[in-house]
Amino acid sequence: MKTYDILRRARRSLAQAKVRTVLTSLAIAVGAFTVTLALAAGEGGRQYTEEMMKTSGDAYSLTIYSKTAEVVDNSGLSEYGVIKESAQTNALNETDIEKIKSVDGVVNVATVYSVEPSYITRGEGFKKYVAPVNVKVDRTEMKLAAGSLEDNKIPLGGLVISEDYLSSLGFENAESAIGQSITINFPKITTDKSTSNESIDKIFKIVAVDHKTDATMYYQPAFSISNEDGKDIYSYQTGDEKNDKYYVLFAELKDGTNIKVAQKAIADKNYEVYSLQDTRETLLQMVNIAQWGMVAFGSLAILASIFGIINTQYISVLERTQQIGLMKALGSRKRYIARLFRYEAAWVGFLGGMAGTILALIAGFANPLISEMLDLESGVNLLVFNPLTSVSLIIIMIVIAISAGYFPSRKAAKLNPIEALRTE
Amino acid sequence: MIEVKNLVKTYGTKGNLFNAVDGVSFVIPSGTSVAILGKSGSGKSTLMHIMSGLDKPTSGEVLIDGKNLMLLKQKDIDIFRSNKMSFIFQSFFVQAKESCYDNVSLPLEIANVAMSRRRAKIESALAAVDLSDKIKARAKELSGGQKQRLAVARAIVNSPQILFADEPTGNLDSVTGGMVEDLLFGYSKKNKVTLIIVTHDFDLATRCEVQIHLKDGKIDSINGLK
Repeated sequence: MKTYDILRRARRSLAQAKVRTVLTSLAIAVGAFTVTLALAAGEGGRQYTEEMMKTSGDAYSLTIYSKTAEVVDNSGLSEYGVIKESAQTNALNETDIEKIKSVDGVVNVATVYSVEPSYITRGEGFKKYVAPVNVKVDRTEMKLAAGSLEDNKIPLGGLVISEDYLSSLGFENAESAIGQSITINFPKITTDKSTSNESIDKIFKIVAVDHKTDATMYYQPAFSISNEDGKDIYSYQTGDEKNDKYYVLFAELKDGTNIKVAQKAIADKNYEVYSLQDTRETLLQMVNIAQWGMVAFGSLAILASIFGIINTQYISVLERTQQIGLMKALGSRKRYIARLFRYEAAWVGFLGGMAGTILALIAGFANPLISEMLDLESGVNLLVFNPLTSVSLIIIMIVIAISAGYFPSRKAAKLNPIEALRTE
Repeated sequence: MIEVKNLVKTYGTKGNLFNAVDGVSFVIPSGTSVAILGKSGSGKSTLMHIMSGLDKPTSGEVLIDGKNLMLLKQKDIDIFRSNKMSFIFQSFFVQAKESCYDNVSLPLEIANVAMSRRRAKIESALAAVDLSDKIKARAKELSGGQKQRLAVARAIVNSPQILFADEPTGNLDSVTGGMVEDLLFGYSKKNKVTLIIVTHDFDLATRCEVQIHLKDGKIDSINGLK
């Protein structure tokens, strides 16, 4: 008997027992619904985490400190006076920069400079303001209201201002600020840390306006300048032309480098290395645990529905003894009888899988509602559906249903036609 | 041609053995209508089951056109049955919830007949039993007589060589029964199909060319065979 014929007969016999078919499929649908939602929430959670990470730091930037010499070994306190080295020798210097640069994948090693502005103004005739000036050292994503940044880096002479500052500076909107000049005054700082009368006016051009997003973990309104400008200003302010003692270094990795490998390589050279990966991985792990937890619940529902299918199929076989006997009398082979019942189970799996998936997709329409409840930024969805996942899930449902139908279908195949056709 | 040689079918356990069929032999020429007569318990149904390959004898042989059924594998017996034999039962056994079309289509599906050729065969089978107007109707909407006619249509749709009928008119009134009998004998004569009717209805038996009387598993008498 051809597969097509068996499929059609299977479908018809299910259609002839509508209530029973609907109930059995619903059992599977519940499981399919739960699993689909779990996977969608997991995907949404993962995407949200990546979004958070992007705006909270630079994935390809490693933060490096020297290993504090106080900790000789990890088994308790170190005695005072035993270690001769002072804190100064814990500082990193040019040699360290070269060592780190030699590691595979390291493209650049940047140092952080802090600058101290005295005032900020749009120029002659405008008010003078005080605000923090941030030196942007890595490629952390900035969410922009206007303007653009190449590779999330500020160009030399460029300035990014926070949206919060627009009205104070007299800009109507973010767009109108682009291209405008801002002057920042930096005083010379003498060795006794007091500001002298000498100062320099640096003129910057606004290249972008940034703002906070809900996904950003750390945001502080500021004026942001490039690392090169920061270095120049720092040198001017401290007079330290050839400063070579650093507290912290940032290693910039080439895109595509294995971050964990590079991290270990640098750490092996006796440094403390931190990357955003650690936070990211912890967060992703939490999302995944939640996701698989929900999938487990859904799987329990599916397990329960399997028993339902086995039961329903056994009853179906008993009910249709005569039909089976007839088919055997007409010359149908055992395997086709078995297939008939297995395909019926497959149909039930298919219907249940489809129903569950479609219901889950409909639940996805509630995304805007969910985002509102969880206070997510508009456009960020908690439930993210993947067509490939859904199709795979339906196929798995069909396979599970066929397995559930295995024993009843064997019973059907083994039926003795003479017994089956005997009427009392 | 159907040749039955020393068929024996034994049931039961040691000490309690019982021969349902006890050494039966005969030869039926192709195209003959045969009645297997006997009271209930005479072994007539068992004999039919063995002749059609639905059951295996304890000993003895069944040769159909020279082919020894006992030597065939189950798969080949099934294929043989689907192509060369068909059945009609006392309780009709039509599939109530399916349409008449799908009922009659079943033997064609089992025999792997190409889909393009099925419709014509089904329509002509239904026409032969005068049920053309019911082609889309569900079998459960038919009367008893119509159901048995549907069963006949199903039995003839794949042009079998041997038609087995087990008390075909047992559940029908005499008028309807007579119609079904006419259909069967008419078809058998026209197409030279061997018709084997198991019955305890004497009147039906005498319409057949051959009557084999069974009593307690043995042949009591045979009429009509040369």
